[in-house]
Amino acid sequence: MNLQKEFTKGIVSDNPLFRLLLGMCPALAVTTSVNNGLGMGVAVTGVLLASNIVVSAMRKVIPSSVRIPAFIVIIATFVTITDMLMHAFTPALYTALGIFIPLIVVNCIILGRAESFASRNTMLPAIIDALGMGIGFTLALVMVSAVREVLGAGTFFGLQLLPENIPALIMILPPGGFIALGCILGLMNKFQRKTA
Amino acid sequence: MRDILKLGLFLLLVAGVAGAGLSYVNSLASPLIAQQILQNKLDSFKEVYPQSDRVVNETATHLTPPYDPVIKEVNVAYRGEEPVGVIYAVETKGYSGPIALLAGFDIATARITTIKVLSQRETPGLGAKATESKFYDRYKDKGIDIALEVTKTPPLKENQVQAITASTITTKAVTKGVNAAREHFIAHFAAAKQP
Repeated sequence: MNLQKEFTKGIVSDNPLFRLLLGMCPALAVTTSVNNGLGMGVAVTGVLLASNIVVSAMRKVIPSSVRIPAFIVIIATFVTITDMLMHAFTPALYTALGIFIPLIVVNCIILGRAESFASRNTMLPAIIDALGMGIGFTLALVMVSAVREVLGAGTFFGLQLLPENIPALIMILPPGGFIALGCILGLMNKFQRKTA
Repeated sequence: MRDILKLGLFLLLVAGVAGAGLSYVNSLASPLIAQQILQNKLDSFKEVYPQSDRVVNETATHLTPPYDPVIKEVNVAYRGEEPVGVIYAVETKGYSGPIALLAGFDIATARITTIKVLSQRETPGLGAKATESKFYDRYKDKGIDIALEVTKTPPLKENQVQAITASTITTKAVTKGVNAAREHFIAHFAAAKQP
């Protein structure tokens, strides 16, 4: 097993957001600012890492007919822990992400990796896979939210870049999420086809 | 039959371990969360009414029926033993959800000190601008003789508040909350002071 490949596949060739098109709901909803996108990405990475470790450790114990409910319980536990910790230590981010923290439970990236990777591999590859996928998802969220924040609010990470009246407000409204994601996906396809 | 029992017991075990783990983390995190919420509230009180020693929640004493259901809390700010200000926690319906805010009133001058939005779900870039201090300043030091009203142009009169561009509903919701607090303040605090 090539560990380096397991790591980079989550960032480039199998990027959860741009290539697998998983986790679209948070990707569209929280990417109104780079800060939110980054926070969401880190939270998902944390949950993904923890659940991949536990699922991989328990893969011989979990009966295959009830594996999905078992995975869901494991994931939900880590999401709830993340939710409590974020509430206690990063209240501003907690308020900004709001309902999307509990909804990490149904983020298909996490269940997808538990089912298709962690439950079939030993712990080390599972950790590498979680880190790769998590970082890939975080980078993708940051990219989408950077486009939206710069065009929609004229700021980057809260720093004012453009004069206040210039920004295209639509980019930080819900339609802007679809427009930004669609354009980035289109560009990625063009770019990746050429190199292929 | 035996299989179902085995699988059920397995899931029970998984859920039990998860529950135990969660209750442990909760026991660690919940005091921190409670402290965090309290601290946040105290900081907000300080922002809305800076010149006080302590703030006492006197909702039970002052919020007697019939009252406007918009008002959630009546907090009285004291300097020494003297009540000097009132901080209302109000909640109104904005464009896309409830808006919770604090409105401060000074008893001596009978004016609004300022406001602070605690939570909202308004549109980012539009209604969400209600959380900026630039917006709070539109309410700062307003008199309470006439109910506040929302205008779309820069205010000409004392009781006018300029709406956030393209977010009149949000501004109206905030103003409605401040006005509800204003009426309660006039009835319970300002009247006693006037000759």
